[in-house]
Amino acid sequence: MGGSAAAFAVAMGYPVARFIEPRPPAESGPASVGKVEEFPVGSVKTVLVHDRPVLISRAQDGQIRAFSAICTHLQCIVGYSAERNQIECPCHQGVYSVEGQHLSGPPPRDLEEMSVAITDGLVVVTGPIG
Amino acid sequence: MSTEERPRTGWLQDRLGWSELTASLSALRAPRRGFMFYLGGLTLFLFLVQVASGILLLLHYRPDAAVAFDSVEEIIGNIPYGSLIRGIHVWASDLFVACLIAHLFSVVIRRTYKAPHELAWLSGHAALVLGVGLAFTGAILPWSHKAYGQARIGSELARSVPIFGEAMRRFMRGGEEVSPSTLNHAFGFHVAVLPAALTLLVAAHGFFLYRKPAYVAEPGTKPVETIPLYPDFLVRQAVAWTGIIVVLMTLALFVDRPLGEAANPLAPTAAVRPPWYFLPFHQIVRSSPAELIGFNGPKFIVGAACGLGLVVIALPFVDPRGSKITTWAAWIMLLILALLAASALL
Repeated sequence: MGGSAAAFAVAMGYPVARFIEPRPPAESGPASVGKVEEFPVGSVKTVLVHDRPVLISRAQDGQIRAFSAICTHLQCIVGYSAERNQIECPCHQGVYSVEGQHLSGPPPRDLEEMSVAITDGLVVVTGPIG
Repeated sequence: MSTEERPRTGWLQDRLGWSELTASLSALRAPRRGFMFYLGGLTLFLFLVQVASGILLLLHYRPDAAVAFDSVEEIIGNIPYGSLIRGIHVWASDLFVACLIAHLFSVVIRRTYKAPHELAWLSGHAALVLGVGLAFTGAILPWSHKAYGQARIGSELARSVPIFGEAMRRFMRGGEEVSPSTLNHAFGFHVAVLPAALTLLVAAHGFFLYRKPAYVAEPGTKPVETIPLYPDFLVRQAVAWTGIIVVLMTLALFVDRPLGEAANPLAPTAAVRPPWYFLPFHQIVRSSPAELIGFNGPKFIVGAACGLGLVVIALPFVDPRGSKITTWAAWIMLLILALLAASALL
């Protein structure tokens, strides 16, 4: 009796568990986030890459870099402050440089850098570095 | 009295077997004194209020990330009494969690978790977990920027849970990221899975208490003064329910729960404050150093809290006789939690 109940529970439970398990993202891999001209020199913009907010920073020398816009403390979304030229997390006052380096506040590490490629005049985020 | 002369209600009473039903309920006993005994009934009542108001909200709410926020705005602004129904639902959720926590502490303080009440204790804990899950998923549904931030932070805190953390995070988000899938996942659990599971648990909890009543005095102690469950205890319980309705309506009518802005994954998360029942926990995590005794600070704290939670769940087995130290520990814990919540609010 107990064995039958257990077998029934497993037979029904496994498909149910697999059914409610979150599915992998439909989109993955490299993602175009816009034309190079849309990112002027000295700007830092937030874009969405597969539902994930990403900061695209273009330095004075024209180099484009991408950082995850998710704070390494408790995963709040960070934003660029043009006034102070730094990246800030309003949740718990974490501060990063425009190069993604942790400057002050509770975050334990730098923002995660993502690899970027320029393809046919488009900025393409190709994934995390390392 | 002939059949023709009997009042019309007599027919219904006859079909329901009313006199037998009330006689069997009168035979059941409940304690005469003690506010704490009414907390379980209040929690059940607030759950029913949430079910009723939630069904009404469901008629206008649209569980789609593109329109969810607008539909809640419409409920508040354009649907007659929408603001009141939403207010009742939101405040009932807060009071429900407050009653669940107060009920838990009252059981620990009175030490009624001990044998033979292990099953009632364990089912009560499971109900607490589901109740908090119900509140958490409900907070996501408006898909406001605050709700989006709470989903991010809540699921990130869950990631620190030892062993199951990563799976819990994915499960709470409905994927790797907080996205429209998170809303769909939260909606399904909030309106179907969790209420159904909670209903079954509450029924099981009631059955366990029926089989092993919590008020029976221990051998050698003064007997507990009791009253019949029907009508005495149920009438008193109804008075408590009336009181909570007054509190609920006052809050829903006079204390606004602003919706804020629509969720925007591109905008920085505002200074999100988690729901009040997570405040002590959040306060510890946010002020913890990045590293603690060689471990990741927040992970260490969440792991320690989980360990403490397991000890509390196992209380009937760890402390089967109900030591007075447990009562003191519960009071001290309550004080610490209140101080942490207060410091988070300041």
